[in-house]
Amino acid sequence: MATQYSIKLAISLISSHFGDLVAKVCECLLRKGSLTLADITRFTELPQAQVKNCLLVLIQHNCVQAFSIQIEGGVGAAPKVITQYTAIFDNILHRMRFPKFLTIVSEELDKECEEILEGLFQHGRLTLEQIILRAVSNQNEGNSTVQDAVRESFVRIVSSHYVERCPASEPFLAPPDEEENPTKKRAKSARLAEEIETLEKRAISAAAPLESERFAVITDTGTDVKSGDRSGSRFLDTAIGEKRKHEALEMDRETMATICEKEVLWRANFEAFIRRLRHKACVANVRARMDDGACTVLNAMLEATRNAESRIKTENSVPLSMDAILAEVMKSEGGRSMTVERVRAALGQLGCRSSPRGAEDSHSVDLRNIIEIAQNDEMESIVLKRYGRDAYRIFRLLSKTGRLVETDKISDITFVDKKEAPKILYNLWKDNYLHMEKLTSQGSKQSDFLLWKVNRSSLWKQILDEMCHAALNLSQRLAYEFEQEHEILQLPREKRVGAQGKRFERIRKVKVILESSLMKLDDAIMLFHDF
Amino acid sequence: MGRTPDTSLKRKRPDPKSTSQTLSDAERVLYNLIRSKEDMGIWTRDMKRETNLQDNVVTKSLKSLLAKNLIKEVVNIQNKGKKHYMAVEFEPSKELTGGAWYVDGNLDTEFIKILKDQCLKHIYKLKVATIEMISESIRRSGLCKVECTTQQISEIVRALVLDNDVMEVRSTETGDFASIPLGTVCYRCSSKIGPGGTSKVGAMASIPCGVCPRINECTPDGIISPRTCVYFNKWLDF
Ligand code: SF4
Repeated sequence: MATQYSIKLAISLISSHFGDLVAKVCECLLRKGSLTLADITRFTELPQAQVKNCLLVLIQHNCVQAFSIQIEGGVGAAPKVITQYTAIFDNILHRMRFPKFLTIVSEELDKECEEILEGLFQHGRLTLEQIILRAVSNQNEGNSTVQDAVRESFVRIVSSHYVERCPASEPFLAPPDEEENPTKKRAKSARLAEEIETLEKRAISAAAPLESERFAVITDTGTDVKSGDRSGSRFLDTAIGEKRKHEALEMDRETMATICEKEVLWRANFEAFIRRLRHKACVANVRARMDDGACTVLNAMLEATRNAESRIKTENSVPLSMDAILAEVMKSEGGRSMTVERVRAALGQLGCRSSPRGAEDSHSVDLRNIIEIAQNDEMESIVLKRYGRDAYRIFRLLSKTGRLVETDKISDITFVDKKEAPKILYNLWKDNYLHMEKLTSQGSKQSDFLLWKVNRSSLWKQILDEMCHAALNLSQRLAYEFEQEHEILQLPREKRVGAQGKRFERIRKVKVILESSLMKLDDAIMLFHDF
Repeated sequence: MGRTPDTSLKRKRPDPKSTSQTLSDAERVLYNLIRSKEDMGIWTRDMKRETNLQDNVVTKSLKSLLAKNLIKEVVNIQNKGKKHYMAVEFEPSKELTGGAWYVDGNLDTEFIKILKDQCLKHIYKLKVATIEMISESIRRSGLCKVECTTQQISEIVRALVLDNDVMEVRSTETGDFASIPLGTVCYRCSSKIGPGGTSKVGAMASIPCGVCPRINECTPDGIISPRTCVYFNKWLDF
């Protein structure tokens, strides 16, 4: 999973955001897996107090999760419970996507929500009270009306699922059941390996708030968080849309609201952002390959079911009935002119499968397939650049077929000369792009055939690693350029003339090209890693 | 442009009786062996192995058989250095010549390119088309001097798909597809700009590191590093 350079990239992100000490602790966790405080102290050779502070920073910014487990206590000693820390690799990489996440919120919601999110990115985790205080101090005024506006924005961003409650700080992982299947030793050891691998995953899922609570927010409308005073009548607002029923409940809810504002910690929900970006990538890919109709329909289907997907890497879009699709298509600009027939045709283009769920017709799109096509595009364009057009054709053939194909056959189909094809195939094989098998036929004359196919899983991993390497290089070059042109960048406008003006222009262009390349490359990294 | 027809046995068989009389024993043995290999022909080294004849005898007999126009030398695409012989009445097999797209053991790239361009032009003109439509359109235009079979056109289009110049799509029976039955496999130009348009370059392929031959030796503080990298210097030279 986490490859060599993806770890290096993660560490460089942490180092540029929080400094080298935090990066050192983080590196230790990324390389060695879950560790106790004592272990980290030993490995990093840092004072324990410092390690502790670094861990706090990492936890605050959702890059590390703590959990406790029970371990055997040695001979004669009782088992004891220890605390371990594990780095959340994905969350670290998400740090380079903050600008993308902010854009999503500013496009879909508004400026106020964007500011709330920005605060969460800056501080990692905040209570609603802190969020309100931050907004008030930014605006330099803060009566309860202003504060209520913030509350409203907050409810909006939570109900769009872009912000969620923080996970439990230190869940307890129950020890795995020892007594299961003592006879099947091999199966057991296999399971054990799996368990070690997923200890981090278990910790994260154990810490996650219940789905019902995750986006539950009760705000204390009308309260001034600075003085604690209440102006005017007090309303309680809930995002889960419950209505007040009894007077008796009033008191409870008031307390709950206060607790909710003062004590519950919130953070950005990366999962929702990544899902959103995944949908956008799918739509963009369909737009490039098919027509606007197919694109409109897919967009509408994803829009209608955006909060219904449970995982990021869902294979198929959530099934929808024809009526629901039509209703959603109608809402969009391009969809209004589409006839039912046209929508049906678009569904056909998208390879929509009607799933046999009940009597009602329901349709879903194979998102996995779209993502794979997008990955292939990226991969093939690398092959084209690195190995040329003949290799590109050969690679596309093998990638499409997905099976072993014989050298001569490859050369025939791709119109690559019979003398050239083996050389190209050999080069691709040498660099790990292809898998080769030798077949010896025992005919009148013994002869060898070479069969080839794309080494998909290992190649994908290798390319992802190279992409991380490239991203690291881009960011390092950017840092280096800034360092070199530090003084030029500081120049006031009127001094940017002549040679210095030229240098300023250059560094400006360098910044634009490096930053935009990095963002685009990160899209590709998400495509291969997250989608 | 000479296309080699697939059908063999074009030439008349010489009368075996009249020839056998004039052949020496060694020649007859060799001739029979070569003929038995039909359109595959046989390599000189293999002849020696199978007949147990002396090197110089084989060489002499071959010369004589050639002079009598009973056998011919053919090019083997797999290995041009290997001398291959075949009885004159056979046409070299696909394995030897490389198939219909090869001329004298070389891929006829010129011809392939012309055909590709033609196909692309016609597909672009037709917007979407089946293989038959493309084939028909090319035939009617009369631009191509050589007759092409539908099979050949389909091979060319398949290569165009692999080039990503053309996309395989299925008819939806609407819009451009109106005249084509639902679900039929059709082809259309990939880039919306038309023939010759370049397709989108991926994120990785558009930066120096994405195509860098030294990426495995490149480290932050190594001799090759992003700070000193010449590819970057060139890229960022405005
Ligand atoms: S920084 Fe330069 S040397 Fe290093 S991988 Fe990129 S292009 Fe290659």
